[in-house]
Amino acid sequence: MAPTTLDRKRKAVTRDVPESSDAESEAEFGGAILEGILSQSEDSEEDSGTEEDSENEEDVNLDGPEALDSDEIPSDMDEEDVVGWNGASNKTNGSKDVAKKIIGEHQPLDEDEDKPNYTVVKDANGGERYVYEEINPVYDSDDSDAVAPTNTIGNIPLSFYDSYPHIGYDINGKKIMRPAKGEALDALLDSIDIPKGWTGLTDPATGKPLNLSQDELEILRRIQTNEAPEDGYDPYPATVEYFTGIEEIMPLSSAPEPKRRFLPSKHEAKRVMKIVRAIREGRILPYRPPEDKEEEEEHHYDIWQDEQPRPDHVMNIPAPKMAPPGYDMSYNPPPEYLPTKAEKQAWESADPEDREKEYLPTAYGSLRKVPGYEKFINERFERSLDLYLAPRVRKNRLNIDPASLLPKLPRPEELKPFPTVCSTLFRGHEGRVRSLEIDPSGVWLASGGDDGTVRVWELLTGRQIWSAKISHDEAVNVVKWRPGKDAVILSAAAGEDIYLLVPPVVDPETDIVSRDLLDQGFGYATNSTQALTANGARKEPVAKWTRPGSRLEDEGVLLKITVRTTVKVISWHRRGDFFSTVSPTAQRSAVAIHTLSKHLTQIPFRRLPGIPQTVQFHPSRPLFFVATQRTIRSYDLQKQELVKIIQPGARWISSFDIHPGGDNLIVGSYDRRLLWHDLDLSTRPYKTLRFHHKAIRAVKYHKGGFPLFADASDDGSLQIFHGKVVSDLMENATIVPVKVLKGHKVKSALGVMDIDWHPREPWCVSAGADGTCRLWM
Amino acid sequence: MAKTTTLPTGHGQVQVYFTTNAPDIELPEEKRQLRVPTDVRRYGLSQILNSESMLDTSAPIPFDFLINGTFLRTTIDEYLVANGLSSETTLNLQYVRSLIPPLYEASFEHDDWVSSVDILSASSRAGKWAGQKVSPGQERILSASYDGLLRVWNKSGQTIATSASSSAGGHTSSIKSAKFISGTQIASSSLDRTVRLWKYTESEDGFSGELKPTLELYGHKGSIDSIDVHGPSNHIVTASADGSIGHWTSSKSSAPAAPSALLGPTSKRRKLTTSTSTPQRGPLSMISCHTAPATAAIFNPLDLTVAYSAAQDHTIRTIDLTTSTVVDTRTTSHPLLCLEALTGISTQLVAAGTSARHITLVDPRISVSSTQVMTLRGHTNKIVSLSSDPESNFGLVSGSHDGTCRVWDLRSSRQGTKDEGGGLVGEAVYVVERDGQKGATKRPVGGEGIKVFGVAWDKDVGIVSAGEDKMVQVNTGRGVTKSESS
Repeated sequence: MAPTTLDRKRKAVTRDVPESSDAESEAEFGGAILEGILSQSEDSEEDSGTEEDSENEEDVNLDGPEALDSDEIPSDMDEEDVVGWNGASNKTNGSKDVAKKIIGEHQPLDEDEDKPNYTVVKDANGGERYVYEEINPVYDSDDSDAVAPTNTIGNIPLSFYDSYPHIGYDINGKKIMRPAKGEALDALLDSIDIPKGWTGLTDPATGKPLNLSQDELEILRRIQTNEAPEDGYDPYPATVEYFTGIEEIMPLSSAPEPKRRFLPSKHEAKRVMKIVRAIREGRILPYRPPEDKEEEEEHHYDIWQDEQPRPDHVMNIPAPKMAPPGYDMSYNPPPEYLPTKAEKQAWESADPEDREKEYLPTAYGSLRKVPGYEKFINERFERSLDLYLAPRVRKNRLNIDPASLLPKLPRPEELKPFPTVCSTLFRGHEGRVRSLEIDPSGVWLASGGDDGTVRVWELLTGRQIWSAKISHDEAVNVVKWRPGKDAVILSAAAGEDIYLLVPPVVDPETDIVSRDLLDQGFGYATNSTQALTANGARKEPVAKWTRPGSRLEDEGVLLKITVRTTVKVISWHRRGDFFSTVSPTAQRSAVAIHTLSKHLTQIPFRRLPGIPQTVQFHPSRPLFFVATQRTIRSYDLQKQELVKIIQPGARWISSFDIHPGGDNLIVGSYDRRLLWHDLDLSTRPYKTLRFHHKAIRAVKYHKGGFPLFADASDDGSLQIFHGKVVSDLMENATIVPVKVLKGHKVKSALGVMDIDWHPREPWCVSAGADGTCRLWM
Repeated sequence: MAKTTTLPTGHGQVQVYFTTNAPDIELPEEKRQLRVPTDVRRYGLSQILNSESMLDTSAPIPFDFLINGTFLRTTIDEYLVANGLSSETTLNLQYVRSLIPPLYEASFEHDDWVSSVDILSASSRAGKWAGQKVSPGQERILSASYDGLLRVWNKSGQTIATSASSSAGGHTSSIKSAKFISGTQIASSSLDRTVRLWKYTESEDGFSGELKPTLELYGHKGSIDSIDVHGPSNHIVTASADGSIGHWTSSKSSAPAAPSALLGPTSKRRKLTTSTSTPQRGPLSMISCHTAPATAAIFNPLDLTVAYSAAQDHTIRTIDLTTSTVVDTRTTSHPLLCLEALTGISTQLVAAGTSARHITLVDPRISVSSTQVMTLRGHTNKIVSLSSDPESNFGLVSGSHDGTCRVWDLRSSRQGTKDEGGGLVGEAVYVVERDGQKGATKRPVGGEGIKVFGVAWDKDVGIVSAGEDKMVQVNTGRGVTKSESS
């Protein structure tokens, strides 16, 4: 029993050996058995007490680490612990190697002389005692720190050794001497040069300063940096793909692509439409509305813009001056300003645009050696090309402001004078006033109206001077003064009759002249009628020139011309010998030209292309204008041919007037248009003015030098226009509406019936359907 | 003195300096400067001036005050505020005899439009020429009517005499203008192109009279719109619509024979009806100087050999009557319809009413380069009649087709706006409406029915105006005559 326990004990102590030698040889094993037998006998023989002692020793020794490391280590692990301690090594590898060495060393011993690795000595009791050799670590052993003698005092407090110079015993029973304690100086040095892992504590197991190992420091660092304290934790492990994005060659499902993938989604369309609708209605703005960013351009203030020369002062910074010409501009600069050969070459080789200076400083010995300007010819040539309209610079298209294309019309205030207010009212007519005109001297106003009367008024006061009732049942359609100041003759038409009157407002001399003018044609009239009757086949004359009867003759109505149908228009030739009348309802004899001096009536047109509306003589040339509903034709009276057909484009021309210059024409139409024609320019209107909302009845130019014209409309208003005609053919007429004159009342859809201008002043008169005439000035 | 005027008031006081142009009411030098409370108005200032310590007038004279050419119509305080002046400035107050607002007095009704009026009174031109004193209360008003009749009225509105009808040697058409030559002689011009001279006789009681045609003057070919007379020399100038200015004499013996071509009535029938035979004469000279109807001709009140004429051709011409030549032509920018000579502030002026609704004041002297001195604006229609204030050099009354007479004071002026063409612009001091138009808020368009055709201003009678309402209207400025007595 005892030897087995010993054997076991030995085995336990050098447990590695048998384990490692398991595979080596049975011979060795056998030897061991043998030795074991030997030793057993020795052990059993020697002592059981020592065994107890040693066991005790082990226990004591065990106590220290247990207390240090962990109290929870179970006691039945004794054997294992013993192994740790016995091997004097923490590392199994090291112990293995050591064991091998031991074996290796011992084997030859065994073989040669069978020398054990222990020596037997006598102990204090006289018993033999095995003293093992110190393990001598060889060079290549990495277990260098294993040499530290291990304290084996057993499980007793260290304080028991306080009074001894040693602190315990090693495995061989040698005293482990207390390590020398550092002197105060050493302690200070230690505190200054703190080694890594220094804690300032003393390891109770060894009595040495307890320092932290590298591993422990690493753990602390990790804890401090919030990492996982455990080594080898990978916070970013590689992704494990559960689903792959790689298209498989052989898909798991062989179902074909569904059709819906190819159809536009109705749901989406619905959503889109909803958004589109919202955008259209403005509920959603597709993009952010441009912010009204005030153009914060950098403002540069020219602080010197109105710089005045001032005396020098600290607070006054004068405007920087242009640098004065330097030395290099001199004709003979100092040599340091002259370019070197390289500079000269660089300057010459550079493009003219790239050159820093346009010139190269050149030295001339004296001023008279300075040559002429070398670029003279060149610049002249460029200039010539410019003049030749051969620009060599590509011009950009101009950015034209549309507002600048609008004609620059002067303001009406600048175009004064023109009539602005009603200054005189002429009241007296019963019913509409159909026609009116101011006499050539500008003193009298003649008017004719529905009541069949012709009235003459004093223009400025509105006093009726004279009145004659020339017709009882017919309205006076038109009154016209004979042009010229030599005689005062008024023509008026009522029904089929044209009357020539001499109102008793003139002095006897003029009166006589006027009467003579009217009467001188009587002889001719009889002659012509005789001639007609002599032809026999002729029809009755187109007009009859007669005396109107004594009642009217006493009133001043001296001559009556009767034509076939109602006369609507009378137009005098400027010389006062011819006048033309228009009876629109007449078929053939619609336009008649009457010769006052011969009492002769002629029908110039056998056929007309439409219903004639009005006629007019040209103010200076022998032209005769006839307006039908759509066109105005001008005829040359001398050559008796059609000169021009003017097409205003109006549906129904109501009236027209020829500019006193003779080259322009205004046309008023029942379809509310006022058209300006430049006769030289085109047969189409130069300008169309459409400002009235009712038909235009009359248009008239001012004939006394003011660039004015006016129209009268059924809406009860007159419009005054500034129409300046320049003699320059390149320039068009400027037409500016300047004033709307309102005042006439609209009666049965008729407003202003006729209009006329004062022969000298910018005054106009208008005849209204409300029975009044008005003077506007 | 100063104590009474510098009574402490709630308002501040302001230093004023009284000046005047009238020597008879001038203050002594030491009294001119004064501190007055700023809350006084014209009336208060007038009282201060009339007080014993200042002018010590027997009867108070109403004064108007001009500051910088404008009449003070508010308190001094308001004036200072409106003009942004400090109360520490010294105000230059020019005091003038106040124009009392003309009050309506009477209307004399006619059968037809009345074209012209003239006054015979002790202070009127004709009254002075007449020599014999027109006793107060015996003033006569002459009215020319469109019915072709002249009428002479007394101040109470009774017709003393009516001229003969056309059949009895009267005008055959409307009379456009008429003037007293003297207490017994009247000249009238008419639309029938004649000037007629009338002898006016009055019965002893002064309630009936007679107008007998004495002379017919032929020569114009158009309506004679204006006539001016000079009693002592018996000269007449007329302006006619034919553009000529006629120079006539009223003495039968010295007048040349009438031009035969213009003489006869235009129809035989009328010749037969003319029963009475009035001597017919022609013009001393007929000056055809205007290219448009001449509307007014007046004698230069300082020089009888010079006449001024205005016409619709925009010109005022100065005519030397002795040689019958046009000496000078002043062209304005508008047709002129009437003319009146003013004594003016410093120099003689000619006022012309235009069709453009304003009155142009023109310096007629040849040496003067600037034509227009001042423009009086305010009328709303043509101005056809002018008459100067008999008592002042600065007053003027105008009659217009807008139905008002306006009283102007040339001292009150302002700088014209650009729209008005710059220059000095005056505004009316008082507006005299037609009596029939009183209370109406809106004047008729074109002055229909209320046009004023003629106006005359006399010291004794007042402002007499004639118009389309067939009335001669008399307005007097109460107190104006009183100031003369002081």
